[in-house]
Order: sequence, then C-alpha cells, then structure tokens
Amino acid sequence: MDVSQYLEIFIDETNEHLQNLSDCIMELEKDPENMDTINEIFRAAHSLKGMAGTMGFKRMQHLTHDMENVFQEVRSDKIRVNSAMIDLLFKCLDAIDGYLENVKESSEEGTEDNELIIKELNDFIATANGAPSASEQEQPASEGSAQSESASEASGEGYEKKYLNVSPNEAEAAKIMEAAESGKHVYGFTVYVEKECMLKAARAFLVFKAVEEFGQILLYNPVSADIEAEKFESDFSIFVATTEDCEKIIAAAKAVSEIEEVVGGEIKEEKEEEGKETAPAVQEETADAPAETPAAKPQSQSAAGKKQAVAKPVTNRTVRVDIEKLDALMNQVSELIIAKNSLVSISSGGSGDFQDQTFHEQIEYLERITTSLHESVMKVRMVPIESVVAKFPRMIRDLSRKLDKKMDLYMTGEDTELDRTVVDQIGDPLQHLLRNSADHGLEDNETRRAKGKPEVGSIFLNAFQEGNNVIIQVGDDGNGIDVDAVRAKAIERGVITEEQAESMSQKEIVNLLFLPSFSMAKKITDISGRGVGLDVVRSNIEALGGDVEVATELGEGTTFTVRLPLTLAIIQALMVEVRDEKYAIALNSISNIEDIPVRDIKYVEASEVIHLRGKVIPLIRLEEVVDIGPKEEQPEHLTVVIVQKGDNLAGIVVDRLMGQQEIVIKSLGKFINNNKIISGATILGDGEVALILDVNVLM
Amino acid sequence: MANKALEVIEKQSKQYIVVMVGNEQYGIDISYIDNIVRMQKITRVPRIQPYFNGIINLRGEIVSVMSIRKKMGLEEDVFTHSSRIIILKIEEKGALGIIVDEVREVVNLSEDEIEKVSNKGRFINGIGTHGDELISLLEINAIVDEGQ
Repeated sequence: MDVSQYLEIFIDETNEHLQNLSDCIMELEKDPENMDTINEIFRAAHSLKGMAGTMGFKRMQHLTHDMENVFQEVRSDKIRVNSAMIDLLFKCLDAIDGYLENVKESSEEGTEDNELIIKELNDFIATANGAPSASEQEQPASEGSAQSESASEASGEGYEKKYLNVSPNEAEAAKIMEAAESGKHVYGFTVYVEKECMLKAARAFLVFKAVEEFGQILLYNPVSADIEAEKFESDFSIFVATTEDCEKIIAAAKAVSEIEEVVGGEIKEEKEEEGKETAPAVQEETADAPAETPAAKPQSQSAAGKKQAVAKPVTNRTVRVDIEKLDALMNQVSELIIAKNSLVSISSGGSGDFQDQTFHEQIEYLERITTSLHESVMKVRMVPIESVVAKFPRMIRDLSRKLDKKMDLYMTGEDTELDRTVVDQIGDPLQHLLRNSADHGLEDNETRRAKGKPEVGSIFLNAFQEGNNVIIQVGDDGNGIDVDAVRAKAIERGVITEEQAESMSQKEIVNLLFLPSFSMAKKITDISGRGVGLDVVRSNIEALGGDVEVATELGEGTTFTVRLPLTLAIIQALMVEVRDEKYAIALNSISNIEDIPVRDIKYVEASEVIHLRGKVIPLIRLEEVVDIGPKEEQPEHLTVVIVQKGDNLAGIVVDRLMGQQEIVIKSLGKFINNNKIISGATILGDGEVALILDVNVLM
Repeated sequence: MANKALEVIEKQSKQYIVVMVGNEQYGIDISYIDNIVRMQKITRVPRIQPYFNGIINLRGEIVSVMSIRKKMGLEEDVFTHSSRIIILKIEEKGALGIIVDEVREVVNLSEDEIEKVSNKGRFINGIGTHGDELISLLEINAIVDEGQ
C-alpha cells in the first residue's frame, strides 16, 4: 500500500472542508458570536491539519495549525471576531487552496511557505491577546482538563480496550517477546472509526502510516488483509513496538480524520495491570485534544448505545463512483440504443419474416426498457449545482470589498440537478455573469442612495427546471443596460452601420453585447471589462448545448437567462431529409410541423416569411443552409418544421419527414472545424451517419 | 547478445506502410496507423474545411475523413475499388481518416535508407529508398496541422 492511492480522498475531503470553512467564515462575519459556527470552523481546521499531516504535507499542516490556534483563542473568548480577521482567514483558505492545487497537479504541496500569512496569524494572536503565547497554551489545557472528566468517563463506557482481548499467535508472540527484549515498549491500541465513514480501510491505512512513524506494528486484529478489505465493524486493534510514548502515538492516530477514538496502553504479562496504567493515558490524551471532545461526546454516547440498538443517525446511502465509469456505462447504453434502433429499422423494413405480431410487441417492449434504462443512467449522472454555486457568496463578498460597493447575493434552487459534465463546466460562465453584475450592473453606493434605491445592491442567482431544460437566471437590481449607449458604441466600433441600427429592436441591440471584443466597461478593471467576458460566456454555454439571453430595464436591473439541456448524450429527435441527406433536429426545440402552400410565402425585406396564426415566421431553407442547390422543380407544398428558441420562431423547410427517433449524440471530433450549424452526428439503425442540426444557431 | 542485436535494429529502422496517392508512393509511419478500412459511404458535412470529405461510421465511432490530395493541393480524388481509408490515431485529437488510392506493402527502412529533406515540401520529412523504389515519407503532424 502506498499513500498515493488515498490522494483522491484527500483532495475530495480537503475541498469539502475548505468549502465548509468558507461557508462558516461567511456566517461568522454576519454573526460573530455564534459558538456553533466557531466550533464548526475549529473542527474543520483541525481535520484539515490532521489530513495534511498524515499525507506528509508539512507546510499545509503548519498553516492550518496556526489557523486552528486563532480559533482556539476565539473559542475561549480571548479574541473578538472582526473584519480584519475574516480577511486574514480567507487569505488562509486561498493559501490552502493553493497547496491543494499543487497537490492535484503534482501530488506535492509545493514550496510556498506562506510565512507572511503565518506571521500575520501569530501577530493576530499576540496583539489580540496582549500576552505572549504562554497564556495561550495555559488556556486550552485548563479547559481541556475541565472536560476530561466527562470525556474519560464516556470513553471508558463507549470504547472498550479490545486489544486486551486479543491473543497473539505464536509468531506474533515471538515478535512481541523480541521487541520487549530489545528494550522497546509494546503498546496495544484499539482504534474506533466513525460509523458514517465511507472508506474505513483507507482510514485504517492512514492510522497505520501515522503509527509506523513511531515504531513497528507487530500485530493486527483483525488481520491486515481483512482490514484492507474493510472486513471489520468500526474498530480494530494493533500492537506496536516503539521507543516513543503511548500518548504521542494516540495523538498521531487521532489526527487522522474520521477516527472517532483511540485507546491504548502498554502490553504486559498481567492484564489487570494494563488497565490501570492506561487509564491516565486516556485522560491526558483527551486533554491534549480538546477539539475532539465536543465532537466525540455525542458520538461516544451513540457508540455506547450501539448494543441497545439506540437509533443511529441516518447515514446517506450513497456510493462515490468515478465519472469515467459512468461515462463508460453511458456509452454502453448508447450502443444498446443504436442496436435497438437497428432492430426497429429491420422490423419496420416490411420483409415478410418480420411481420409477426409478437415480434413487434417484443420490439416495443425493448424500446420501453432501453428508454427507461437511459433515463436511469441519466439520473445517476445528475448532481445538484450546489457544488458550483457554493463558492459564489465568498466571491461576491470579495468583490464587494474590492469594488467598494455594498451588495448581497441571493441564491435559490441550489438543489437543481444537471448532468455532471454540464455542472463541471457551468461554473466559469456563471462566475463571469456574477462578476459582470457586481462590476457593471450595480451602481456605487452614492448613486444608489441618490436614486432612492436601497444602498445595498442585490444580486440573485435562481435555478430551476423547466421541461427538458434547466434555467439559471443571474441578475441584479442595478442600473440596467443603456441600450442607446450600446447602439452608439456598436456604430462607433463599426460592428453595425447606422442604417442597421435603425431597424434593430432593443433586444437585438442588447444581444450585441455577446459579440467578441465588445465590452461596455467605461474603465477597465481586473474584475471584468476586458471585452472577453460575454462572448466567452455565450460560447461556453453554447458548447454545452445551451443558450443565454439577456433582459434589461434601464434603471431597474439586468437579468441573464441561461438555458441548459438536462442531458447531453441521448435526445429525442425528428429526422428530416433534404435530397438524400439526413438531418436530426432536437425534438424539444420543435414547436409544430406545418404543410404550407408555396403561394402563402410572403416577403419581408427580401426574405421569405409565412404568416401563421397571427405570427410572422421567417423561413429557413435547409438546402441553402447545408449548401445543396435548390430543387429543379418547386413543389406546390412545403414541409415546414417550426422551431422555437425562447420567444423566437422560425420555419425550417425540408424535403421529407422521416419520423421521430431516440438518437445518440456523437462529437464530430477535433479535426473538422466546427461550423456551428452542425452540433454533432449520430449513427442510425442501418449504420448510416446523420448530422444533428443546431437550430439555435440558425435562428 | 541476441537481444542486444535486436535492439539495435529496432532503434535504427522503422516500419512504414507504403501507399499510392496519384502516381507517387508515400510511406506512413506504422506507429500512427490504427486501422485500414475499405472505402465506404462518407457523409458530407456542410461548411467545413474544403479538404475534408466528411465523416464515417467506424464501428460506432464517428471519424473525420480528409482528402490528402486536396490537403496537398493535388487534383480531386477518384475512388476505385482499391481506394482505402487509413485511420490514423493522433494523440489528443483522436482518430482521423485519410484517403489513399492504394495500399501496397509494409517496408522496413533503416536510418541509412532514409534521406532527410528539409524544405522539400511541407508534408514530407524524408525520402526512403527501398530497392529501386523511392518512397516519400509523410510528416503526419503537417497533415494534421490546421495551419493551411
């Protein structure tokens, strides 16, 4: 076993702890007196320290240790929380995040010592305390001993010294004898892992690794193979030969996160004696780590009650799965659907053998199964957007400072779920939009007061599901977009001509903001305004198969609406034909299908339109879009697929409709330059390739 | 000892697949080649680079197919029964098909049978001599490169 296999767990957990810390510190800023939050921060910092220590990331451990010290002081009411401290804590988080990034890239923490931050932390303790660090150590000690009584009592009940019941086999006994003869102490330990812990074997390994720094492990109970295979309840025992103190080893083992309790003592011939000897050790050890006591107490009670079947806390019944495995599963489902489609196409081929009624029924049955299988796999891949949006409150706080504007972020629908791949990639665009709102959207404090608006600006992020799409709205109650200014700028930059500007609607003008190199920022800041913002946002979102729209009211605010597809890989599509080429149009963008007599086509500004139920709908000839010449003879009737994007409609003229089909979206690869109108390809039942039209681009 | 001798040979010689494009023989480094398939229906993709013919279905995967003739500025392809699509595997960018008129043979060329050329043409990195035949060795990176 080597430690690198736990690197992923370490990274995951550090991320969780960092997020948790960030949330708590935000909370603390609002409510500096909240003891629960302070305790939570302390615990998270402590766990971080322990994890960094076991993984051998000394710099990270050092930093988190000093951070923990600050909280020690806060807990004991020696330091008041103030905004300078909050800033400093966020700096720490950023530094830890920096380490984590290094770990992710190179499995090393890097060489940055962050001495400055550490010094600031220590200064903070010193100045706030008004006393040298001596008193600092005194305090936790006395606090700890106050609690140690109840704690040791609890540990006495809840945590049996099971190692006392372990009987070594001959070989092990020989080893123990040998170690004892060579002048080493032999200690026995029983380690209790938290019951909710997902990867007990990993924890056990980390404990072994920590312990092995001090000495040699002589005996495992259960045997090490069983521990590796997680074949133990929640505790295991080890015998260690060492020259170090028992307490040191206990402390090191307890520093591993999700370890609930460690009890231990020297192994001697008479077992009665051991019991007495170890008792003070346990007491001292709890005093050493007061951080654990508030957490350990309720847990120890539940551990004690285990045998009486007291209700355990409901654990989340989840499994962590590598996204690659899910991708593989998804690919297999895709293959299955392609195979199913080819069966369908054979059965509808009409040759006599396949006209059997039961055959058709079975095919239909198969279709139902594959469709629901696909849905299940999709659901497995769905994760709440929370993981992405959780970092935004912190970001807005920082922006508020930096820009010297007062603002609050309101978020709803954090539990809205999206495909994992989409969630991974939606962070940057949303961040861009929020920064945009903070920087350009909101007015400064004086302007807001002068306008009679509340001084504190509001930024909101609302997510919800709508049909097959997820909508994320990002907006503010700032000044809105000055359409005339955009128009003037566009003309000045030569993006549009004055004549064009005349005929453009407000909405069209506002949409110019999404063009590359079109920034409205009056002054360029490092937050936004380099003209790389909105066009990147749009292309990122379009790459995910979504789109973005903007609505604005001058003086009232701006809202960006991001629309994303729920799924990426498999969609229902309408298959259409132009001459002998087959194209797929996503069913969810189709509003209806019309048969239009050619004589009903009207012209507006030399473009073909149709007038349908009170609406003027522009016609798009697919043959022109895909560069096939017009037909030699014009038919009298046109087949028109009416597609919808937001409030806009367009009619796509095709030769023939082939029907609806479930299709698997495949990428065109990296060689062909994306021409945007084709968003991918799919393989039909007969093995032929059809292209998928992106109607959003056509409109 | 025998192993050592073998190593020396491996170091110095490379295998090439010899293909015909027009009336010229080209050699493609075999380590780039994933597969060779018969000509099949190529689905046209509108509005792409002119030297791409389109995409094919290679056992359930979509693979882009390039006309090496058009890329090198030669005349249009004429597909015959001996035309083949050579599937190259390119790191990072994935699979790419190139159309050749004929696949001839696999040859071993040692370093002293290859004459390095510079500025001879963008797509060639050397000329190999095999018997009395000349084989132009294709520079795959130049073919994949989009800098045209």
